[in-house]
Amino acid sequence: MKRKRLAAIFVTCALILGTLAGCGGKGDAPAATAGGDAGKQTQAAGQAPGASPVELNVVTSYGGDDGNRKNYENAVASYEAATGNTILDASASSNEEWKAKVLTDFETGTEPDVLFFFTNADSEPFIQAGKVVDIETIRAEYPDYASNMRDSMMAVAADGKIYAVPSSGFWENMFVNTKVLEDCGIAVPGPDYTWEQFLLDCETIKAKGYTPIACSLFEVPHYWFEFAVMNNGTLANQLDIPASATDAVGQKWVAALNDIKDLYERGYFPSNTLTATDAETVQMFGDGEAAFLIDGSWKVGYFEGNHADQLGDYAISYVPAKGERVASEAIGGISMGYFITTRAWEDPDKREAAVAFVQHMTSDEVMSDFVTTEVTALKNGASPAGLNELQQSAADANANITGVVPAVQDTVTGECKTDLFANVQNVVTGAMTAEEAVESAIALN
Amino acid sequence: MDSSSNLYRRKGPLVVFLLPAFVFLLLFLYYPFIQNVINSFSDITGLGRPAEGLNDPWYANYVTLFTDPKLRTALGNTVILTVCTVVFQVGIALVLALLVDSIRVGAQVFRTLYFFPIVISATALGLMFNLIFLYNGGMLNQLLLNLGWITENIDWKNTDHFMFTMLSPVMWQYVGFYFVILVTGLNNISEDLYEAAALDGCTGMNRVRYITLPLLRNVLCTCLVLAITGALKVFDLPWVMFGAGMPQDQGWLTGTYMYDQTFNRGNVDYGSAIAMLIVVLGVVLSNVANRVFKPRHDM
Repeated sequence: MKRKRLAAIFVTCALILGTLAGCGGKGDAPAATAGGDAGKQTQAAGQAPGASPVELNVVTSYGGDDGNRKNYENAVASYEAATGNTILDASASSNEEWKAKVLTDFETGTEPDVLFFFTNADSEPFIQAGKVVDIETIRAEYPDYASNMRDSMMAVAADGKIYAVPSSGFWENMFVNTKVLEDCGIAVPGPDYTWEQFLLDCETIKAKGYTPIACSLFEVPHYWFEFAVMNNGTLANQLDIPASATDAVGQKWVAALNDIKDLYERGYFPSNTLTATDAETVQMFGDGEAAFLIDGSWKVGYFEGNHADQLGDYAISYVPAKGERVASEAIGGISMGYFITTRAWEDPDKREAAVAFVQHMTSDEVMSDFVTTEVTALKNGASPAGLNELQQSAADANANITGVVPAVQDTVTGECKTDLFANVQNVVTGAMTAEEAVESAIALN
Repeated sequence: MDSSSNLYRRKGPLVVFLLPAFVFLLLFLYYPFIQNVINSFSDITGLGRPAEGLNDPWYANYVTLFTDPKLRTALGNTVILTVCTVVFQVGIALVLALLVDSIRVGAQVFRTLYFFPIVISATALGLMFNLIFLYNGGMLNQLLLNLGWITENIDWKNTDHFMFTMLSPVMWQYVGFYFVILVTGLNNISEDLYEAAALDGCTGMNRVRYITLPLLRNVLCTCLVLAITGALKVFDLPWVMFGAGMPQDQGWLTGTYMYDQTFNRGNVDYGSAIAMLIVVLGVVLSNVANRVFKPRHDM
């Protein structure tokens, strides 16, 4: 009997201890790598002499099918090899869900040590909460931090400080499938492309059995929205935010939504545009079933990775213009950069490693791997290796760009844009008017 | 009185064994539940952000519940899902169980095969069914095109087809679960009864109707209660396949709508109110199901 009682007490204690152990903190994580560092190569740039290797939690948007995923992996590997530190990478593809998750991590105290994130209004919640360190504070201890960047091109937060070291910039423009255009007898559009000509071309393409525009209005209507807004305004007032659907800016947004609705009603989007994912419609374009695709500079890498033997079938052209806009005006800028979180900065083991990681990822050498045709904040500029056909096409198109403006969606709250873009499908099908959609979104800004 | 009966009279060891589970429930079920009730009356504009006081009026979210057309859609779809769950999941499982019970060779193989979908993660299943129902090059469209039954691809996720596309994987996934429960119930029916019935000339469908189903009543009741309450919680598979309300806000379920409001839109307080609605619905429906399908103890 006594033995049974002892066994019962033992089992109970084991259960309780097991539960408590499961709830335990993670403060002693570095010990986990202590045994594995014997063969590590060089003494770290980001590691004090005699210090143990450090594990850095890093979150970036270089996940999933991002065109720069391979470059990112190579850059991380070279940092790890040089420092002996370990990067615990939790990168994912950038979308609204990912942004919400990153912000939630900050709110719940589970933020990473280094974050590659948007430098616009999206980052204000954790900047205002003091969860990231500004560059001046870092430079007070590490004077060379981001010294290869032009300060004038770094994003300034609402409090007037700079927090992120910018990576490469981006552009958004129109990709065209030259094979489809050729089959339809249409020339690759130039910087003088007009809306009227675009509608005529779409009609020709549709009559030939192709889908004119590859776009998932369910998942990524924002590319068309940005240019539609620009087509109903000017470069100068692109970033104005409406106070209501009836004011001048609100009417511009309404007209933009109605332009997209017009394209939908003409049957220029894929027949499953309201249920397809972005990946499906891009695949459609890549496979030569659609002619036009508005997307960003990151998509060049996608085509290199997935359609390497067909790069000559694609070109970067210009989004058709109407009103005061000309087709050579595009969306672009530098919208993302590396943040060091306060948590990492205040951890004496991680501070140096985090600084070294950001310096490594934004060095001239590493940036040159990421950059092909995008703008950078590097003082010396990037030196990309020989451009392939698609990259050359992008470079040629960019050479004719006469104006660039950031995306207006980056200046409104996440709730506002989620609501606006979720309602595009309702606007095009007539379930909701464009005015109602704008009013609904603005109420959340 | 020996020492073992003393052990059963003393409640101390019982408390020691129950305490960890109780503490666990307290921390991870009751505390979040109470916090959720408070959140549903508060003004919270982002996940993890502190409440900025109470809503004005404090019951505002509960008023919205009655006026929100997307929630009405979600409730309607959830009811349809519940009905289909009862009819198809339990119904098909019953038919399969009766068929497998009547064969002598290979019953174990069928048990494993039908149970297998349960052990696959819903995310993997969702991705697999996405490929099956894919518009361009999907398995189903290719099959139908090659058979000549259709001349152009069908959009299985559009407003005309989404209900079938959403429900069929859910039905398929859980049939095996109820199948195993029902087969176990069938195994508990004594062979003597069947032999006696056979002597009286009761075979085939009559055997099922007059012997099997009445004796399986309690197991069936348990399956129905589990099916109804389980249907209210369905989230993962539809979310992977349809995301935020596809198509055109017609595809919401209460679970997916609550998730979207809370995690994608940061409307945490309204998401909490929807969660309360789901809890109330669950309690009411499971009580009704328990009363209607009450197991009989004389069987």
